[in-house]
Amino acid sequence: MRLNALPKPLLAALSVLATALSVAEQSPPAETYVCAAVNKNYVIGSKITTTSGIHRLEPSGEWKHIGINDPSVFAVSFDPRDRNVFYTAALNGALRTLDGGANWRIMTSWDITEPKDVCVDPHSPDTVYLAHPGGIAVSTDRGTTWTARERGLPDRGKYTQTIEVDRVRPGRVLAGCESGIYLTQNHGRSWRRVLETKETVNDLQQSPHDPATWAAVTQSAGAWISRNAGKSWTYLPQTPTDGALYNIAFDGSNPDRLAIGSYTFGVLTSEDGGATWTHRNNGLPEPQRVWRVGIHPDTGRLFASVYQNAVFVSDDFGRSWTSIGLEGSAVNCFLFLPAATPNTP
Amino acid sequence: MKPALAAVAIATLWPLNFVAGQPSYEGPHPDTSVVEDPTLRRMQYHERVQEVIQWRAHIVERGDAEKMDLASVSANLRLGRKLDACSARVIEMMQTPGSGPFWMLPTVCVAFTGRDLLSDEARQSIRDAWRTTYQLRGDTENHFAMYYTMLYLMSEMYPNEPGDQWYTGKSSEENLAESREYLIDWMDIMTTIGQGEFNPTHYIGEYAIPMLYLVSWAEDPEMRIRGKMVLDWLYAGLAANTIDGVLRGPNARTDDSSVVERWNSLSSFFSWINFGNCPPQRGFSWGNYYAIVADNYEVPEVIYRIATDRDGPFLQRDLKRSRHQWRYSNVGKAPIYKTSYTTEDYAVGSYQGGMADPIQTHVWDVTWKTPDPRGLHPTMFSIHPYSASKGMQAYFNVRPDTMVKAVAAEGKPSYDVADKLVGCSPYEQVFQDLDTIVALYDIPKGTRFEQVNGFFSKDLANLVEDDSGWIFARGGDTYLAYLPLADYRWEPHMAYKRLPSTGNGYRYERVESGSQVLISPHRRNGTILQAAAASEFANFQAFQETILALPIEVELEPTPRVSMQTLRGANIVCAFGEDPVRNGKRVDYTKWKLFEGPYLNAEKGSRKLTITHGRLERILDFNTLTLSDRVMKN
Repeated sequence: MRLNALPKPLLAALSVLATALSVAEQSPPAETYVCAAVNKNYVIGSKITTTSGIHRLEPSGEWKHIGINDPSVFAVSFDPRDRNVFYTAALNGALRTLDGGANWRIMTSWDITEPKDVCVDPHSPDTVYLAHPGGIAVSTDRGTTWTARERGLPDRGKYTQTIEVDRVRPGRVLAGCESGIYLTQNHGRSWRRVLETKETVNDLQQSPHDPATWAAVTQSAGAWISRNAGKSWTYLPQTPTDGALYNIAFDGSNPDRLAIGSYTFGVLTSEDGGATWTHRNNGLPEPQRVWRVGIHPDTGRLFASVYQNAVFVSDDFGRSWTSIGLEGSAVNCFLFLPAATPNTP
Repeated sequence: MKPALAAVAIATLWPLNFVAGQPSYEGPHPDTSVVEDPTLRRMQYHERVQEVIQWRAHIVERGDAEKMDLASVSANLRLGRKLDACSARVIEMMQTPGSGPFWMLPTVCVAFTGRDLLSDEARQSIRDAWRTTYQLRGDTENHFAMYYTMLYLMSEMYPNEPGDQWYTGKSSEENLAESREYLIDWMDIMTTIGQGEFNPTHYIGEYAIPMLYLVSWAEDPEMRIRGKMVLDWLYAGLAANTIDGVLRGPNARTDDSSVVERWNSLSSFFSWINFGNCPPQRGFSWGNYYAIVADNYEVPEVIYRIATDRDGPFLQRDLKRSRHQWRYSNVGKAPIYKTSYTTEDYAVGSYQGGMADPIQTHVWDVTWKTPDPRGLHPTMFSIHPYSASKGMQAYFNVRPDTMVKAVAAEGKPSYDVADKLVGCSPYEQVFQDLDTIVALYDIPKGTRFEQVNGFFSKDLANLVEDDSGWIFARGGDTYLAYLPLADYRWEPHMAYKRLPSTGNGYRYERVESGSQVLISPHRRNGTILQAAAASEFANFQAFQETILALPIEVELEPTPRVSMQTLRGANIVCAFGEDPVRNGKRVDYTKWKLFEGPYLNAEKGSRKLTITHGRLERILDFNTLTLSDRVMKN
C-alpha cells in the first residue's frame, strides 16, 4: 500500500507520530507557532466567534491558542532570553506579553497602526524593531517607548512590510519596503537602499546555514538572493514576476532547500539553492491560494497555509500534503522556536 | 428632579402612536417652512428626539425584535422603563461582546445611560467586557473617531485603574491620554487641511454620535466644548450641502443605495433631527444612539437657517482631504477641492476627480429638489468604475490578492462590478463652473473596466436623445442637458437589495430599479452636464435650443479636451492632465480656502470657521476653544 493512499486522518496521525519518534532520540525539536486569522469574512465590529491569533502546535498534534483572540496578528517575535516575553505586530499596534501570553499590553500609541512585522534584536533583546505602514520604529526599552528611525528612507516609499535583524552582525538590519530593500548597519540610525523595487518587498529571510545569505520575495519582481549579507541582490531566475510572492523560507535541515508561498502560484520549492523552482501544489485543496509557508528547521517539514482553508504539511517537501487543522485559517506567520532548555525559561 | 424620574415622567406622558410606528418616516413630508419661534423650534426638536427614543424603546412590544438590543436597552434606560429587564439583557449581551468601535459605541451608550439605573451586576458585566475582550481599533478615520472617543469616556468613567483592568493593558490614565491626544490631533487636521471622510451620507453618524457623547459625558470641559464645536462644524457642512435636508454633491463615503436614492441615508436623519426639514430613514438607523442624549445639543440658529432659509443660489468652495495613502503615491493626504452650487431647485457639486477614498466615493452630480424625496432617484452623474487591487493597497495595508473580494463581502458589493455607480477613479478629472460640469476620462488600456457609466433616473421626464448627441431631460423643476463624449448603450439600473444575513457576510440580490445606466465603453471619454431652472426658460424646447447653441469643441485623442462656453457665459477649457482654464485664466487650486462662500468661511490652516447667515454669525475657533456668536448691525 502506498502511504498516501491511507486515509488522511490516519496519515496525519502517522506523520505526527513518525516525526515525534524521529526527534525523540535527539534534542527536542523547535516548537511551531503560527499567527493565524481563523475567521472568514471578519469585518470590524463583527462578533469574533472563532479563536484567532497565536497558536502553538502541541506534540499531540493539537493547536493550542495563546494569548489574545485577535484576527489581526501579523507577526510574533520572542525575546531570546525569556520565551515568556514576546511581541506581536497587529492591527492595534505592537503588543507585548511578559508572562507567556496571559497578560498583554498595546505598546504603541495611536500614531502607529497596523504594523506588519516585529523583530527582537537577538544581540540586544531590549531592542525591538517594528515594520509598519508609516515606516520603521525602534524601541530600546522592550517596547515601552518607540522612535522613528527612518534616516535614509524616502519620505514616500517607506511603507515597510518586513524587518529582520542579522543574527550574527550586531546593528545590521534589513527592511523590506514598498520601494525596495533597505540596510542599516547602525541599529537603524541610517538606512541605504540595496535593492530597488517598484512594489512592496513582502518578506526577507536570513539563511540558517550561511548568515551572509539572505532571500527576499516581492509583490511584482519575483524572488531575490543576496550572498553578501544584503549588500547586493541577484534575481532568482524562474521565480514568477506576474503575481505576488508572499513569503520565502529556508530549510534549516537542508541548505539546498527553499520554499515560497504565493496566493497566485501556491507553493514553489527549490532543492538547489534557488537555481530552479517547482510548483508543489498536488494534494493541496484548490484553489491553491497559499498565504504563507514555513519549514521546520529540525525536520524539514514543509508547512503551507491555504487561505481560509487549513494548515497543510508535507514531509516530502511538497510532493504530498496533509491537513493538520486550523480550518478556516489564514496564517500570517510561521515561527519555529528552539525548544526550551534549562537555560531558557 | 433626578434624571431617572424625569425620564419616567416623559415616558408616561408620551403619545402611544409613536410607540406603534414611526410617524416621521411613515407620515407626510414635514413642513419645510422656517420655524421662527426659537421656543417652538426647540420644542419640535425635543419631540423628534422623543419619537426616536420611544420608537426604539418599544421594539419588542411592537414585535420588531424578540429581544432588546443595545439601542433599545439604551432607549428604555433613557425612559426609565423596564430597568430589571434592561439589566438582565445587558448581562446576557456582555457574555458575547463585539470586537471593535461598532460594539464599543453602543456599549458606551448603555454604560452611561444606565450608570445610575442598571444593576451593579449589569454595570460590572460591561466593565468586565472592557477588561477581557480585546477591541480592534479598525483602519478608517471613522473607526478611530469612535474607538478613541469610547475608550476616552470609559477611561474617565473608571479612573485610576491599572493596566490589567483594561483590554489595552494600559491604565485608565494612559488610555485617557492616548485617546485625548488622538482626538485633538484629528480635530487639528480637520480644521487645518480639511475633513477626510467629508460630507458622508452615512458615516456622518460615526462622527456626530461620538462628538455628542463627548458633549454629554466627558468630564473634561475641554473635550465637551471640542465635541460641541465639531458638531457645529459637521452640521454647518450638512446645512450648506442640503436642499430640504437631502444631502447633495460629492462625498468621500456613500453606498450603492444612497448615491441614487439621495434621501435614504443617515445624513437625512441628522437633517431631520436638527432642521426638521425632511423625513428620517426607516428605523432611524444609528440615529437611535444619537437620540439618547440629543437633548444635550441644540443646533445654532445660524446653522439652522443655512439649512432652511436661503435667499438664492450660492457657490461654496471647500478644501477637504483624501484618505491617507500609505504607499504607491507621492502624497499621503491629497487635497480635495470641492465645489457646490446650490439653487432653490437643484444643486451641482463636484471635486476635481482622482482618488479621495478607494471605496464608496462619489465625485460629482446634479441633484434636484422633489416635493418628497422618498423612493426617488433625483440625481444625474457619471463615473469611471475603477477597481484595482493596487489602488486598494495604497490605502489599505493588505496583501494584493484578496482585498477586492473582501471589500465586496464587507457591504460594498459593487466595488468590482462593471456597472457600478459608486467610486472615484484616478482616470477621471472634473471641472465645475456654477451649474456646468465637464468630466473627462482617460482610461489606460488594460484597465479593468474601460467604460464610463452615467446614471439616468427613473424619475426624469421628457428624456430626449437629440441628434446632436445631447441628452435632454427634466428632473423636478430642473432642466438637464447631458452630453456623453463617446458612443453609448443603455442598461437597466440594477440596484442592490440587501438580504437577511446567513451569518457569512453581507448578502444582496440585484433588482431592477427602473432607472437606467448609460454605458459608454470607450477609454477616452467624457461627460458635459448643464443644469438650469425650468423657470429660466419659456419651455423645455427653449432650453434645448439654448444648449445646442453653446459653442463646444471636443477632442478625445490623444487625450480628452473640451473647450466650451457654459450656459452662464464662462469660457472654459478642460484638458485631461492639465489645470482647467476659465475665461483665459488657469484655475489655481493652491489658493483654495478651507471654506469659501456666503455661509461658511475659513482660511486653510486657521482652525477657525466663520458661519454666517444674514446678520447672524458664529465663529468656531479651535485655537482658543471659543465659540462665539454675534448679531451684526444692519
